Amino acid sequence: MAKSKKSVNLVQAPLRRLAPIFILPTFFAFVIGFVWPFIQGIYLSFCNFNTPKDAKWVGLSNYMKVFQDAGFLNAFKNTAAFAVVSIILINVLAFIIAYALTQKIRGANLFRTVFFMPNLIGGVVLGYIWSMIFDGILKNYGTYLTANGTYGFWGLVILVAWQQIGYMMIIYIAGLQALSEDMLEAARIDGANGRQTLFQVIIPNVMPSITTCTFLTLTNSFKMFDQNMALTNGLPSVIQDGAKINVTELLALNIYSTYNINKNYHGVAQAKAVIFFILVAVMAIAQQALTRRKEVEQ
Amino acid sequence: MKKTAQQYSTGSKVLTWIFVCLSVVWVFPVVVVLINSFKENGFVNMEPFALPSGESFVGLDNYIKGLTFGNYPFFRAAFYSLFITVTSVALILVFCSMSAWYIARVNSLFSKIFYYLCLFSMIVPFQMVMFTLTFTADQLNLSTPYTIPIVYLGFGAGLAIFMFLGFIKGLPTEIEEAAAIDGCGPLRAFFNVVVPMLKPTMISVGILELMWVWNDYLLPYLVLDRTMYMTIPILVQYLKGSYGTVDLGATMAVIMMSITPIIIVYIFCQKHIIKGVAAGAVKG
Amino acid sequence: MKKLIAMLLALAMVFSFAACGGTAADEPETTAATEADATVGTTEAVAATEEAAAAGRVYYLNFKPEFDEALQGLAATYQEQTGVEVKVVTAASGTYSDTLTAEMAKSEAPTIFNIGNMSGLKDWDEYALDLTGTDLANELTTDDFNLYNENGELKALGYCFESFGIIVNTALLEQAGHTLDEITNFESLKAVADDIHARSAELGFDAFSAAGLDASSSWRFSGHLANMPLFYEFRDDGVTEQPATITGAYLDNFRAIWDLYITDTAADAKTLSTSTADESKAQFTEGKAVFYQNGTWEYAGLLEAGMSADDLAMIPIYCGVEGEENAALCSGTENCWAVNATASEEDQKASLDFLYWMVTDAEASAVMVEQLGAVPFKAAPESSNAFIVDGNEMLADGKYTVSWAFNHTPNVDSWRATVVTALAAYSADPTDANWEQVVTAFVDGWAIEYNTVNG
Repeated sequence: MAKSKKSVNLVQAPLRRLAPIFILPTFFAFVIGFVWPFIQGIYLSFCNFNTPKDAKWVGLSNYMKVFQDAGFLNAFKNTAAFAVVSIILINVLAFIIAYALTQKIRGANLFRTVFFMPNLIGGVVLGYIWSMIFDGILKNYGTYLTANGTYGFWGLVILVAWQQIGYMMIIYIAGLQALSEDMLEAARIDGANGRQTLFQVIIPNVMPSITTCTFLTLTNSFKMFDQNMALTNGLPSVIQDGAKINVTELLALNIYSTYNINKNYHGVAQAKAVIFFILVAVMAIAQQALTRRKEVEQ
Repeated sequence: MKKTAQQYSTGSKVLTWIFVCLSVVWVFPVVVVLINSFKENGFVNMEPFALPSGESFVGLDNYIKGLTFGNYPFFRAAFYSLFITVTSVALILVFCSMSAWYIARVNSLFSKIFYYLCLFSMIVPFQMVMFTLTFTADQLNLSTPYTIPIVYLGFGAGLAIFMFLGFIKGLPTEIEEAAAIDGCGPLRAFFNVVVPMLKPTMISVGILELMWVWNDYLLPYLVLDRTMYMTIPILVQYLKGSYGTVDLGATMAVIMMSITPIIIVYIFCQKHIIKGVAAGAVKG
Repeated sequence: MKKLIAMLLALAMVFSFAACGGTAADEPETTAATEADATVGTTEAVAATEEAAAAGRVYYLNFKPEFDEALQGLAATYQEQTGVEVKVVTAASGTYSDTLTAEMAKSEAPTIFNIGNMSGLKDWDEYALDLTGTDLANELTTDDFNLYNENGELKALGYCFESFGIIVNTALLEQAGHTLDEITNFESLKAVADDIHARSAELGFDAFSAAGLDASSSWRFSGHLANMPLFYEFRDDGVTEQPATITGAYLDNFRAIWDLYITDTAADAKTLSTSTADESKAQFTEGKAVFYQNGTWEYAGLLEAGMSADDLAMIPIYCGVEGEENAALCSGTENCWAVNATASEEDQKASLDFLYWMVTDAEASAVMVEQLGAVPFKAAPESSNAFIVDGNEMLADGKYTVSWAFNHTPNVDSWRATVVTALAAYSADPTDANWEQVVTAFVDGWAIEYNTVNG
């Protein structure tokens, strides 16, 4: 009690006086870069607008249009499928690689360096490089990347796996290295075989890393834009059941291209963005809640 | 005992070989870009995996062409990319660590509100604010490479403050109080006492923000006055998009020029980078 | 370390204050521009800015990437002569509408911009100044290429027009034992092409260059070649403005000519999707193909690539429609100047003055003709472009112009993307079922895009 009072006097009071230096610059930038655009974004999703100056309130009509948009539904399905596949693929492979690299093998550091490298290259450049590689390979079979949705989908999965496995591997390695030798030793003494050690000792103890990585891959997949645009740009584009669909388009790209149809679609795109935000937010909150419950249980 | 050691080492050898193969697969895409950057335009599309031969080899021509390709000098884009990245990361590190310290030590309603807003901003995807951010940035004249770092500070503040705060909360307050007793003002106390302790978090935040800003495409594409300023990712997309004159060879050279410096930096600082990523992820 | 951080802090503060100051004072742009051009004498820059503020400024958002360099030159000359600030910006191909949308929302919006067609005019009508009766409009020799809104106001002024058709390497054609005179309709074109293709091994060249469907090349077919069925359908039905639906009555003709392109060629039809414009052009300039579908704008590039003017000719695209012996080239424009009606009056006047200067000044007109080919202004000199000359001859012979019906396409990039997807699939596997997809993309796609844009 006395301590915190002293702290109030000694640290807090002078600091409070210097608020204009310590916190206001960040806060102003934060208002410009986030708070105001966010509020305006919510408002404009109920408007027809070209610029915010000429916004006209239209109520829920933008949202009605979103739910009738076959392209948006298709993008949603794609994104969900893409998220599931890439979460599983990336995490399983990253974990296996991390596990192997924490065993005593020669050149582990070098391998780690190599696997992480793709993270340094931007998504646009990656998409470009991989579209060339996929087309180069598919050419030998008389076909091409945007010939159908399957190639484009798996192409994106491969690209993203190649990029993110290294990142997740680093996190898993950190988790695995934090395992105490004693625990593994105890398992060995108890006569646990390799499989039992893995599933009953190692995996439960690196659970925090697993949740972190799952969450990261989930949000990365949902927000995926650059790679999607540079690899296929949503192509092929086909007509299905009387509606036009960009077969390999994910949500973020769909929002972006909606905005560019013409100025009557600015409000619709913003409404899609709001729905997208709610989706991402719900997932993040659910994930937090789950982790917290697990932590309490343990 | 000896036997198991031997078994272990064959297993390890096999594993090493598997990893050697896997590493080759991993660097393959970059190698493809490298070999194609020495090939004449027409050959890139025809045989993307073939090594440059007498007929297709053009030496450094693509690199020379790449420097001025698309009516936009490569160095200009590289300069903007570098400037934006360095300034934005510096701004974020300095101002967000200060703000985090303020929030941790000053117990006010404002601190609380700001903290919860930061938490909230972390779950908001960029798409939610991208169109409106563009308008705001234009109205405030933030659409140049010299001012866009303020936008990055604003949009990146949430995560950075959250990470700094996580660390600062664990710091004992006694040292700061002792400094205050010695007559140290908050600014000096922060830079002399708090910042040295924050160093590991600084590195970790710095690296995460660095990778984000350097590779970011959509934010600068929307916010920057695209008629005057391009960063490297925007330039690459621009080269790919032009009708009629897609010079693949020169584009490959541009890509090579843009990723080589990063890879060199990475090779020298990989320990920090990898540590930073690991630490950042555990907290985030 | 301490010093470093202190320095960074100082730097950061300077930047943030500079920005705040700029905002508060609401300075008119160019803070950064002046900073960027630090090499330019400061006083000079300031003086130029002040003068420009008084006289209005010009911001020309250019649509034609190939015109960029020359236009920058013209702008610099004009700025030198009059002191009026002229900023020219060129959007990357395929991004014009994005860029225009983004730029129009800015405080320093373009004062001169491009409207490509009637549907573009619908989007931008309220932003376009009525140009009726301006000095600029009075300089025109024809109003065939202008865009008028529903009230009959001249909103966009066609400042150049282009023609496309099939470019022929006449030297190779003769080498194969044929002449241009033989080709008068689809049957004769097919006969010649089939013959060349059949003997391609012996001749060392083939009939058509690759019909590449990569984004750099696909517009030649989803846009230009697709004009053939659209033109004839609209002519039959008397369509003069954007129709909500089309019938696809001439799609069999489209198929005939497309089949010819992908059959009588050395290119692999299975991977046309990744074949670029450069590849196709290279096949033609290197003498590996006799025919190359493209437009008058290609002329300079072909000469640059080493072709001789005497060996180049352009013929109409034939697709088996009755009476096509009398067809001329496909002529039209997607290049119409519009002046921003929301700009200040000084800016509007400055922009009109600049455009007037471009079409009346002798040197500027010469540059326009050289760069753009056919320019419909009184002061424009004769073109030396052989394709334009060919086109003019056909018109002089009384042949009918195939106008650019594709200008009516709704949500054009999106419509074309669907057509390209279907065309690529059909080329890889030319079955009737796959052709049905092309028809769907054409006809149903049109209705869908029309509803998207107008619904």
